[in-house]
Amino acid sequence: MSILRKQRKANREEDDPDMVPVMNLFLVLIPFLLMSASFYHLKAINTSVPVLSQQNEDMEEEAKKEIKLTVIVEIKEKQIDVSALSGEVEVELLKGLERTIDRKNSDEQTMKALSDCLEKIKSGFPASDTVIIIPEENVVYETIIQTMDVARYYNENPLFPKVVLSGKVG
Amino acid sequence: MALGRRNRRNQFVPPKLQLTSMMDMFTIILIFLLFSFSDKPETMTLEKNLELPVSDAKLDYNDNIKLVLSRDSLYLGDVRIAGIQDGKIEGLNPSKLEESVLYKELMAYHKEKKNDDPKADKEVSILFLCDKRLSFKTVNSIIKTAGMAGYPNFQFGVLKK
Repeated sequence: MSILRKQRKANREEDDPDMVPVMNLFLVLIPFLLMSASFYHLKAINTSVPVLSQQNEDMEEEAKKEIKLTVIVEIKEKQIDVSALSGEVEVELLKGLERTIDRKNSDEQTMKALSDCLEKIKSGFPASDTVIIIPEENVVYETIIQTMDVARYYNENPLFPKVVLSGKVG
Repeated sequence: MALGRRNRRNQFVPPKLQLTSMMDMFTIILIFLLFSFSDKPETMTLEKNLELPVSDAKLDYNDNIKLVLSRDSLYLGDVRIAGIQDGKIEGLNPSKLEESVLYKELMAYHKEKKNDDPKADKEVSILFLCDKRLSFKTVNSIIKTAGMAGYPNFQFGVLKK
């Protein structure tokens, strides 16, 4: 009886897996991962400010091939005004693209409405790729970034990837 | 007596280390670290007074010239060049941006780079890290100054969603 018990005990001890190599592996992996761990992920949004430029002939020819609109998004305290500029489209057509989005609703709803509005313009003029964002002085930076996000992509599809940030002139 | 001692010595079983709980702990740490693994770990430290906005941008930044605008200070690289009070940048007059320290510093840098390699500095963009609570009035004066100094292209630093 006692021999049997001893044998069973010996068998049980043999069943235990040897954890020491796994521990060694962990001890190597953890310092490596700690070194390459990043606790915040910094990304960037490309933008520019308006500058004086000289239009060259190549650009003029390129512009003739496809109609490109420049969309203007004015962020005001109580509303967002969307309009478009182009030398190749009739003024009446451009006026028809103008929209005003109320900011009384939550930020999420406002941005959704803005997103839909910009998507409509993009579907009408697919060659357009530039948006000028003009915030009022008291608009906080976070709202500007949210607007940029909405203007750049619509459901992962690019809308107006070239973002120009400008102060109100005049 | 001597026999009894020998018996006791024979009975001694070395204590077995209980590794299970340690394994559990290491597994949790390993999973956490695997999730925060980055092939390009951030080398810069963010200031305490700086809350970056969150965005779904996916573009990686180029660490060329870093301009940091926190709630109370303006830094060019790691050097504090001006303080900020109530959203106003000290020593920066909106009607005379050319007289500000930022403009002079950027111009000096621009000239230095231009002398080294006239083509290299053309497309350089500024990595701009700005607190999300600041108003556009404050932000605009900085980006205008940088634009006037020959840096019209920016990369707005944001945190990944």
